[in-house]
Amino acid sequence: MTESGSQTDQDSLGLYVHIPFCTSKCAYCAFYSEPVHRHDTHRLMQAIHTELAQHDTRSVCTAYIGGGSPSSLPTSELTDLVKAIMSRCPDLAEFTVECNPGQVTLARLKQWHDLGVNRLSMGAQSFDAGELRCLGRSHDADTIKTAVHLARQAGFNNLSLDLIFAICGSTPATWQASLNQAIALHPEHISAYALTLEPGTPLAEAVAQGRQLAVDESTDMAMYEQAIAALTQAGYEQYEISNFARPGYTCRHNLGTWLNHPYLGIGPSAASSSGTTRTQNFSDIKTYVAAMESGVSPVETSVATRPMDRICETAVLNLRTRHGIDVQRFRQVTGQDPHVLFAGPIRRYCEQGLLTIEENRIFLTARALPIADSVLCDFAAL
Amino acid sequence: MDTQYIRNFSIVAHIDHGKSTLADRMLEITGTVSARDAKEQLLDSMDLERERGITIKASAVTMNYVYEGHTYMLNLIDTPGHVDFHYEVSRALAACEGALLVVDATQGVEAQTVANAYLAIESGAELMGVINKADLPAAQPDVVGEEIEHILGVRKNECFLISAKTGMGVREVLDSICELMPAPKDRSREKTQALIFDSHCDEYRGVICYVRIFAGKLQLKQKIRFMGAKRTYIITEIGKFCPKMKPTGELGTGEVGYVIANIKQLADVTVGDTITDDAQPADKAMERYAPPMQMVFSDFYPGNNTDYPKLRAAFDKLALNDASFSFVPQNSPALGFGFRCGFLGLLHMEIIQERLERENDIDVIQTAPSVSYEVMARDGKITRIESPTQLPDPGHIEELREPIVRLEIITTTDTIGGIMKLAEDRRCKLMKTDYLSPTRVMMEYRAPLAEIVYDFYDLLKGISHGYATMDYEFKCFEKSNLVKIDFLINGTPVDALSLIVHRDNAEPRGRKLIIKLRRAIPRHQFEIPLQVAIGGKIIARETIKAFRKDVTAKLYGGDVTRKMKVLKKQKEGKKRMKSVGNVQIPQKAFMSILDTSD
Repeated sequence: MTESGSQTDQDSLGLYVHIPFCTSKCAYCAFYSEPVHRHDTHRLMQAIHTELAQHDTRSVCTAYIGGGSPSSLPTSELTDLVKAIMSRCPDLAEFTVECNPGQVTLARLKQWHDLGVNRLSMGAQSFDAGELRCLGRSHDADTIKTAVHLARQAGFNNLSLDLIFAICGSTPATWQASLNQAIALHPEHISAYALTLEPGTPLAEAVAQGRQLAVDESTDMAMYEQAIAALTQAGYEQYEISNFARPGYTCRHNLGTWLNHPYLGIGPSAASSSGTTRTQNFSDIKTYVAAMESGVSPVETSVATRPMDRICETAVLNLRTRHGIDVQRFRQVTGQDPHVLFAGPIRRYCEQGLLTIEENRIFLTARALPIADSVLCDFAAL
Repeated sequence: MDTQYIRNFSIVAHIDHGKSTLADRMLEITGTVSARDAKEQLLDSMDLERERGITIKASAVTMNYVYEGHTYMLNLIDTPGHVDFHYEVSRALAACEGALLVVDATQGVEAQTVANAYLAIESGAELMGVINKADLPAAQPDVVGEEIEHILGVRKNECFLISAKTGMGVREVLDSICELMPAPKDRSREKTQALIFDSHCDEYRGVICYVRIFAGKLQLKQKIRFMGAKRTYIITEIGKFCPKMKPTGELGTGEVGYVIANIKQLADVTVGDTITDDAQPADKAMERYAPPMQMVFSDFYPGNNTDYPKLRAAFDKLALNDASFSFVPQNSPALGFGFRCGFLGLLHMEIIQERLERENDIDVIQTAPSVSYEVMARDGKITRIESPTQLPDPGHIEELREPIVRLEIITTTDTIGGIMKLAEDRRCKLMKTDYLSPTRVMMEYRAPLAEIVYDFYDLLKGISHGYATMDYEFKCFEKSNLVKIDFLINGTPVDALSLIVHRDNAEPRGRKLIIKLRRAIPRHQFEIPLQVAIGGKIIARETIKAFRKDVTAKLYGGDVTRKMKVLKKQKEGKKRMKSVGNVQIPQKAFMSILDTSD
């Protein structure tokens, strides 16, 4: 593991496997997933194994099984996948599995841990019963606590909890209570996301129709600052806009994304980036499976990344981390000096106190975090 | 050539009444171009003109036509059809003995037809009435003929019924031009007098002068003198437009063609100047045209200050081919360095603006167009100002005068009420009402230019369901009770947003505009107070609330492509903005102060 806030080694390859199943769809979720019972999970897993085998994964450093919820898969399907990844990726340093607190048992957790999974990311979201109901989550606060204890028992010493704030009906008080309960469980890592009302989700519709009341911008902002304060106070370091970790426990896989390292996405709707091309697989499970079974490419879209676009991507992604753009490394990777390339926005935002230049880094100030997109957009194109 | 076989004429018409189509048919019938070679609407050569279906600059073409055994040289001098370019119409007409007045049989006489016909009559050109599109089922040639007779004094039974599209009746028009239109006077033995009626600048050959020879002749290698400019040149090429430039070695009395004489800049040539022989000059120059009058002014600022030299270069290039466009450096306390530009009218401004964007990659912020005003100071000195920012302190002003125009509106009788209401709202005085037919009426107003220059035409079209047409002509400056409205953004007065309005509606206007401004300026990371002041006194305030949050919560591998697109779009939205202090003001905010809608 690397030091918190610093950068991982160059060009580490990340592997992401998308499991597009959930027991039920949450009200706020816009990710591609389908109810698990409707599908032949075995056929899909076969297809995923086939796709995985088509790639050279020997240099993969981090792996991440996400979804949907991987824990909704039958036990054997998931363990087979974990085994396959372990055997195909000999240099794996970090292996995360996403799970739903309501879907874990000590036996399952132990099995994953013993096979080589060394990080768990748990979708806690909230400890408030009303908020969990609003989100359409099937678990309650006690389930989260139990799941965390089971994970510890199974031997996991790198645990992350996902939390969501600014949920309809939430208040700074309910949010503080959730933060406190999360902190009390001593996870090594916490992701705190503002609720995003994704168009087309049941929750977004409920808000549009007035059945749910969205939290106003000022409260949302206050809750974000509240999270940063509480988590920092509790010994977590904010290393990205929505991510906090105890020293040494940053998510190496996701850091790879923000460093714009290449990654390989396997499974329906999974995205890959080779550095020169970004591709995305078919989302539809049937189409994906059919492609794999008939030996054709599962890639639905493939877009060549122009060198200048890639440089801009790198700048935008880097700036999401609190470490920011590492000038020297940026030069090495892109061949360009960020101070020259983005001279205009850097000067402007430094003047406005939204960017800071320190030693070898260009990074967002604390004040810029809630309005990061309005700054980052000026790095999105030249 | 014997002048009795020369005919010089223009076609005057309202936009879309078929002027260019008629010209195309004539070019085909006379064999000047083959139908196959003819690009649609050959005379409109600029892309922009072609796209907008209008002719901006005059151009000319020489055609040969055999009538009753004689070959006639027919010189067609094209004219613009838009109100902004009256000046170009009159200078084209000055080179002609006759004009075809084309009216659409389905539309009838329009305001611009009237305005252009008056110009033709004033210039002494013989008018021939042509009713176009007479073959269409909706054509009403009888009614239209009566309108022509009633308004323009051209006899109904002498009008030609044609279809420029099919060519029906066009030969008869050509025959009549030969038979009835006056020939140029034979002054071939007199000292040379050639009128420059247009000019344009060619990248390789320099300035090309469009000339009409009134007396004597011009030939290759001749040493010529520009009588007004008092400069001499040697003719390096001379010829006719056929329709491409074709060297002929000389041009005789009555003929129309071009002269190239190693002239570098358009500014060296004044349209309307007289060319004569340097060794044996004419006694006097021909009567000069009144110079074109710039009626509309607007400031252009580079969105990015470093683009200032680029913007200057772009304007230099535009001015090279448009003598009626002018620009002078301008320094605004709020917006920095830019240029004040003068235009003949709003369409002229839009055309320049479009060419600027099309031909250059510069982010430009433009202020709302303003008219010019006359200021009489306490000491009696009169100055002309071209922007509200130039207005002196009210204490120094004895009298403020605004430009007044004669406005003609032609519309259907059922829309008179709505139009009268609009005109009244805009301080227009009705001078005359004239029924063209039982269903169509022409109204003449005295109107303050400032009130009709911006959105009046659009509103007129809306009220009349597209039927009404208008035209206007500058009359004079007239004393008026005017005040300046100023806006303060975040405490800073933004001079480029100021405007001059009549005192009676200054306050309600100011209150309305500040709300429009609030809507036009995007939210910032801080609260922005807006204030509106009349004569230095704040009359209303508004606040643009700060935005608190603008951040994507989750951004992982699969989201990168989509998110980059969204961010690029967000960046795009910041373009065409000008910073005043910390506040970014978008282009639409500068224009919002002219928005009179509710």
